[in-house]
Amino acid sequence: MDPEKAKLVVDGLKGAGVNFAVGVPDAQFIEVYRTVAKDPGIHYVGAANEGEAAGIAMGAWFGGRKPALIIATSGLLVAMYHVARINLLHEVPILVVIPYRGDLGDPRWMGMYQKTTEPALRAADIPYRVVNRSSDIVRVIKECNESARAWLRSVAVLLTEEALW
Amino acid sequence: MVTRYQLLKKLSTMLPDDVLVVASIGNNSGFWGQLRQTEADLFHVTMGMCTPTALGLSLALAKRKVMSLDGDGNLLLNLGTLGTVANQDPANLTIIVFDNGNYLGSHKEEPGMPTASSGKFDFAGVAKGAGISSSSTVSSVEEFQKSIETALSKRGPHFIAAKVEALDDDRPPRSRRLPDPRENKYRFASYIERTEGVEILGGGLGKFG
Repeated sequence: MDPEKAKLVVDGLKGAGVNFAVGVPDAQFIEVYRTVAKDPGIHYVGAANEGEAAGIAMGAWFGGRKPALIIATSGLLVAMYHVARINLLHEVPILVVIPYRGDLGDPRWMGMYQKTTEPALRAADIPYRVVNRSSDIVRVIKECNESARAWLRSVAVLLTEEALW
Repeated sequence: MVTRYQLLKKLSTMLPDDVLVVASIGNNSGFWGQLRQTEADLFHVTMGMCTPTALGLSLALAKRKVMSLDGDGNLLLNLGTLGTVANQDPANLTIIVFDNGNYLGSHKEEPGMPTASSGKFDFAGVAKGAGISSSSTVSSVEEFQKSIETALSKRGPHFIAAKVEALDDDRPPRSRRLPDPRENKYRFASYIERTEGVEILGGGLGKFG
């Protein structure tokens, strides 16, 4: 992953006021995790699985932090029960940031995430934006986070390969 | 052995009002809500999410004591969180797992299906192995009281595995309604805003702000 693109993601998070991040790293987004973990303005928690990560993010929100849940498309499937419960029952706003695999240019085995990711977010009633251009990364992350805070509901940002690599 | 309700009753007499409590779904929430139902209580936190939620809360509010009332089946679903707790090392977090060794049966006439902790499993041993050095197993009110005294007075994180009866024969009548999760969100968050001086619910005005 281009470190400059990772920096855009982190700039977007910081510009949005995110000061707490939880995730389970994936290979394609590793520079984002490394950059977030080193940033003194963001408390990063590396979780053992994405459902746990979602719970940690919810707790941090109740403690006054502005949390982001940074997970892979596969991780969204792992976390779905918790993410759905957080959004549909507790109605807690968490910014979910996902490198969107399965798009043009990805290997064939990533294709399943094109079929699962957006339907899963819709099932959990989580609004989302798909970002295809790197020049949109910072703005969209910030706007999605502002919407999450305004609606007190979770919102997701899907960053495609076109935008990231 | 002791029942879950006996231990919760003891806890309700010991816990200062300002300790934030995160209770797992099912009887932990149901019983705790009959004993203490204040703005400092977050109920109905689902399978695998109780201790992670308490962890996030404890990290965000490092000077506030936070207690997770977890269950065996609930914690087993995300057991890896004990490693995360150890790595994050929150001094203000106490995890109590009420281990009745079974799913669903505690409110019935006979135990439900066994959890993984019903056999050779040792919760406190696992927690200690994960890196939570203050980990203990209790099976009486007296031992429980001692472990809570330690949790309230010494640096954490603390892990208490409370071995309890499979059946909740002494379950209390459900005379008090528990808040639903959304109602609980506003109550709990407003209380934390007021007592910690942080902004949680406000500030989100979108483009109109």
